[in-house]
Amino acid sequence: MAAGYSLVGWNGFKRAYDGVMLAGLAVFFAAHLGAGWMSAPAGQQPSEIQMLIRASGAAAFSLLTIILCLGPLARLTPRALPLVYNRRHLGVACFLVALLHGGLVVLWYHGFSEMNAFVSLLVSNPRYDSFGGFPFESLGVAALLILFLMAATSHDFWNTVLGPRFWKGLHMGVYAAYGLLVAHVMLGAAQGEAGFAAAALAGVSALLVSGLHIAAGQREAARDRAAAAEAEGWLDAGPAQEIPDGRAVILTPPEGERIAVFREGAKIYAVANACRHQGGPLGEGRILDGCIVCPWHGYQYRPEDGCSPPPFTEKVATFRTRIREGRVLVHRLAQPPGTELAPTLIPEVVS
Amino acid sequence: MSASVAEAIWLGLALYVGIGLVAGLGTVMFGLGRLTAADVPVRVRLLILPGLAALWPFVLARLAGLGAPEDRA
Repeated sequence: MAAGYSLVGWNGFKRAYDGVMLAGLAVFFAAHLGAGWMSAPAGQQPSEIQMLIRASGAAAFSLLTIILCLGPLARLTPRALPLVYNRRHLGVACFLVALLHGGLVVLWYHGFSEMNAFVSLLVSNPRYDSFGGFPFESLGVAALLILFLMAATSHDFWNTVLGPRFWKGLHMGVYAAYGLLVAHVMLGAAQGEAGFAAAALAGVSALLVSGLHIAAGQREAARDRAAAAEAEGWLDAGPAQEIPDGRAVILTPPEGERIAVFREGAKIYAVANACRHQGGPLGEGRILDGCIVCPWHGYQYRPEDGCSPPPFTEKVATFRTRIREGRVLVHRLAQPPGTELAPTLIPEVVS
Repeated sequence: MSASVAEAIWLGLALYVGIGLVAGLGTVMFGLGRLTAADVPVRVRLLILPGLAALWPFVLARLAGLGAPEDRA
């Protein structure tokens, strides 16, 4: 940690980021209020406070949706990475807008009650044992408390004091808050407090957030598997089915010579790419009559052991292969030239 | 939910926040040196006050020397 904390470590990027965020919020509020006013039947326009309640609720939900999309987007494309760097400011802004929404709701709907406004909020709908009639306001209160906790602990001070692992765990609560808010909007719509469009948009947003997380998770899992295989010395040659029958793909290891990975029907072989004659690219040749034929001068090698058929004596190195989840893996360590290896069979082609 | 339960929740929350504010103010004024060796300016102290009030049981435990973050650099 540095010798001292600062309120915000401002730089040009953060200023621009926050400027765009505030401008975006202003445009969103203006558009929402304007659309709400114009779409209501003449003489039935809601009050300004009610419109502000809806606009702030929609803005907070949209901000949280954007926040949750940024993480997986950055894992899917590095171009989204800069958007993640100042995500905390989006989170704090989201809490403040949600607080505006909650504060206006309490004041407008419960501020004139004879009992405490917060108590009134909790008891105004007593159907806690109902699914469809469950008081959606309580879900919003719970989500607001989580958002508050995250906004209150968003400064670097808390990362240091709580420890990165605990801090991250605490901030994973954002998913619980989002789930509560989706339910808040859906139930509100079901009970006639929010329009069908709001419920539909909440559902689409939840699907978008889920879909991006699943896509990013799959991408990372594939990367992890490839990295794990590579750590053990296995190189990924791509999907087995994409190697044309009787042809090869050429693999370039981080070090060492290139490897030609051939497919012959259901069988996969890997041999050194350089022909023993004049170094021609065997991987650009093809398998004819059971032998790899060099495209330059027609030298032949048996794919299973890298030996030229008698009476010739040339030999190239062979490589171990295997198939994982439909992808051909080739071990980077070459076997001595002429070493016979059993071909790896492609299950889909064999069956 | 009955009004009595809701009032109990409200009182519990108010009590928790009240204690938190007192504990947070005390920590901001006298206890930050035991949480971090870094300099914490006044504006940052005000910014972290809500967090101190919300997490006061944790903060008090840390001030008492319990539960140091295991993975702190």
